[in-house]
Amino acid sequence: MLLKATDIKKSYGNKFNRTEVLKGIDINLNKGEFVSIMGASGSGKTTLLNVLSSIDNVTSGHIYIDNVDFTTLKDKKLADFRKNDLGFIFQDYNLLDTLTVKENIMLPLSIRSMSKSEAETQFKSVAVQLGIEELAQKYPGQISGGQAQRTSAARAFIHQPKIIFADEPTGALDSKSASELLKKLQQLNETLSTSILMVTHDATAASFSHRVIFLKDGQVYTSLSRGEMSQDAYYREILDTQRVLGGVVDEAE
Amino acid sequence: MKLNNLVIKNFIRNLNNYALYIFALVFSVALFFSLLTLTLDENTMEEIAASTPMSALFSVGSVTVVIIIILFVMFANMIFIKRRHKELALFQLIGMNRSKIFRILLLENFVIYFGSLIGGVVLGFFISRLLLMLLLKIMRVDMMVEMNFSPTAVLITAGVFVFIFIVLMIQNYVFLKRSSLINMLKLNKTSENTGKPIGKMTIVLGIAGILMIALGYYMSQTMFDRAMENPILLPIYMVAILLLTILGTYFTFKYSVAFILNMSRKSKNGHVNVNDVLSVTSVMFKMRSNAFLLTVIAVITAISITAMTLSYITYYSTDKMLDSRTPYDYTVSHAEDLDFFEDLLTENGHEINRVEKTFMHYNIVRTDENTDIPENENSSMNSGEMGIVVASDAEFDNFNVAQNEAKVTGTIAVLDMFMSFDEGAPVTFTDGQEFERTVEITETMSEGVVPPYLSFGLPTLIIDDAVYQELAENKPEETGGFEMPSELFAFDIIDGDSEEVYELMDQEEHPGFNSRLKEYNEMIQMSGMMAFIVGFLGFAFLLTSGCILYFKQIDECEDEKGSYKVLRKLGFSQGEILKGLALKMIISFGIPLVIGLLHSLFAVKSGWFIFGIEMWTPMLIVMSVYTVLYSIFALMSLVYYRKVVRNSL
Repeated sequence: MLLKATDIKKSYGNKFNRTEVLKGIDINLNKGEFVSIMGASGSGKTTLLNVLSSIDNVTSGHIYIDNVDFTTLKDKKLADFRKNDLGFIFQDYNLLDTLTVKENIMLPLSIRSMSKSEAETQFKSVAVQLGIEELAQKYPGQISGGQAQRTSAARAFIHQPKIIFADEPTGALDSKSASELLKKLQQLNETLSTSILMVTHDATAASFSHRVIFLKDGQVYTSLSRGEMSQDAYYREILDTQRVLGGVVDEAE
Repeated sequence: MKLNNLVIKNFIRNLNNYALYIFALVFSVALFFSLLTLTLDENTMEEIAASTPMSALFSVGSVTVVIIIILFVMFANMIFIKRRHKELALFQLIGMNRSKIFRILLLENFVIYFGSLIGGVVLGFFISRLLLMLLLKIMRVDMMVEMNFSPTAVLITAGVFVFIFIVLMIQNYVFLKRSSLINMLKLNKTSENTGKPIGKMTIVLGIAGILMIALGYYMSQTMFDRAMENPILLPIYMVAILLLTILGTYFTFKYSVAFILNMSRKSKNGHVNVNDVLSVTSVMFKMRSNAFLLTVIAVITAISITAMTLSYITYYSTDKMLDSRTPYDYTVSHAEDLDFFEDLLTENGHEINRVEKTFMHYNIVRTDENTDIPENENSSMNSGEMGIVVASDAEFDNFNVAQNEAKVTGTIAVLDMFMSFDEGAPVTFTDGQEFERTVEITETMSEGVVPPYLSFGLPTLIIDDAVYQELAENKPEETGGFEMPSELFAFDIIDGDSEEVYELMDQEEHPGFNSRLKEYNEMIQMSGMMAFIVGFLGFAFLLTSGCILYFKQIDECEDEKGSYKVLRKLGFSQGEILKGLALKMIISFGIPLVIGLLHSLFAVKSGWFIFGIEMWTPMLIVMSVYTVLYSIFALMSLVYYRKVVRNSL
């Protein structure tokens, strides 16, 4: 088991006015697994992702990656941890406007000692897989949203982390760019056997993953595995579950 | 591609964001360094600042500049580090630890600060020459401008900037230590408490703020009159006025502006146009959350305009002051001294014009109009009367006064506190017994005819010779054995006074005299030096507060980028959006400026007469120059907005 979280609780506010966002969540993620987290707005899915990805602290509970509990790690260790094991994709891409696409992608490699040629090979391989190698010398301001998000994905994959955390990666994309990106993610997930944990509200996006975990009011409501289902059937299952959950059913075709 | 290369590249690409910051830094260094060079230059100081209070002025000036620079740089640093949160967060996400990020910031700041330091020193050296020329011109001293490059000044400047650098690094370290990764990622999403409704409390406090300022203004206008009645009130009044206006200013920014703008918004009943969206609604909430900063800027603006105006009033009034206080080139005490100097000067080829005048001290009846001094039991004067100097128009050729009239000479504004003569008002002479003679004042002027040491600082009344003789006949016996002065011996140099004449007369064995030239030099140098230093500080204040507002606007502009995009997608043209933004600039820059100007207007009005004779001209000059320079920053912000709006689609 790659990631194991037990009894995660997270609350905000002060002593007098406390809101509990996560009310004790247990989650497991296997190596090479692609898992989606779904839930209505305010169900705590982004908070859960932030906590699992070490961006935010837990109020209580433990998170193990490869049997190391990072909730107790200090900044320096935690930084090492992010450097080697984690990759991130955000809804708003988080690219630096002042660096070219290639430089943005190479950023994670720049803080480790890696030979130039080695770094170049790494870059080539992800860029080709994500279809952005012609964009290498462009600046983020000059490329489309879909291309920017693929750049962001390339940056997340380039140092071959164990887990990639993706927060609504398709949220700002049109449906064509979105499904293109998801296909690429699926591919990379299979070829590199990198685990992916993705938060989404889009049932189509979720249907690309192996397993969907539904949150409701800060707790795991249910989960759904694709198993041997076709993507279409799986998609319909997800929609049904969403309907039962009482969340917003969007873009039902 | 190594990390350092990336960081350096990123920094260089970001450089145009830092341009104004670097410019302001270079300029601060230059200002500080040039002031220091002036202070440390021995030749200069010997020439212009013979007395210690003058060189002390320079030291006070330098220290103030350092304080301004520190506050400014800390503020600017905070804005910039917040702007870069995205980058800093990303560095952390890819696994950089905080100490490494701190090292990057250290490196960047090192380059910025020490680059500016070198640039500033070079620029400062040239500025110091200019400044010295300006200072000498202001002080009307003729001297060859020759400046030496002072290594001590460089060392002190470097020391001060190393200190500032350390302070900034502590600030950055604390920022990094305090902010968690999640906050950095979200920093751009936390808006400045937008959308809070305008509650009843806002209205109450908003009105309270305006009332407080009004009360402060009212009190400032009556302060000196009240203080004349009871001196203990003066400090109490001053503290009360300061508290009222400063708190009132804060409330104005915090509540009144929001409340007033909200009224105008409500009156539109939902039909907001693009101007409203970009200016009114945006400013309404921004002002509120920046209330503290804006208060500081408004108060600093007020203080510096007031100080500049007052020192400029002194400088501007010098000539008039001199005409009032020292009407003749030289005054001496005795007729023999006059003869002595006449012989001496004629021998050396300087023609003089003898001035020998007689006058007398006479009592006039106190009325509520002409005096502000409270009745005092212990006063040596008889109650109900006060002494004044009277002279006949026969003595002074250029005066011709009708029989029942009088002209007041040598009355300067500050005397109004003690006694005031209004044109058209009657004045009654009395011998303390039954004799009384009333004349009407037809003219008051600041030029004097009798120096203050003979008139005891009071104005001189010039009356018709017949009336003068009448008064002289009825002059009461001198009491107390003290004889009031009644004669004046003075002379003018026909070809104009010069240093040469002064040198000739100024010998130890010669009788004592008062020189107009010498007094003029002393006055112009003191007031010129004061005006120079205050103007210098005022400029530093202007530069830093302007930059701070500009940075604030850049910050807001980046936050609002999305709105411009939406507006342009909705079909608004660039011009329409810019019109709204221009309105926003007018409000954001204008309100602190107007409040600062109003504050200083009332501050100057309440006490200007202590500093000189003219108020409006010097004040309006200072205020307009300040406003023009200040507007440059508003224009620069608008240019920045235009660039962003143009690129938003």
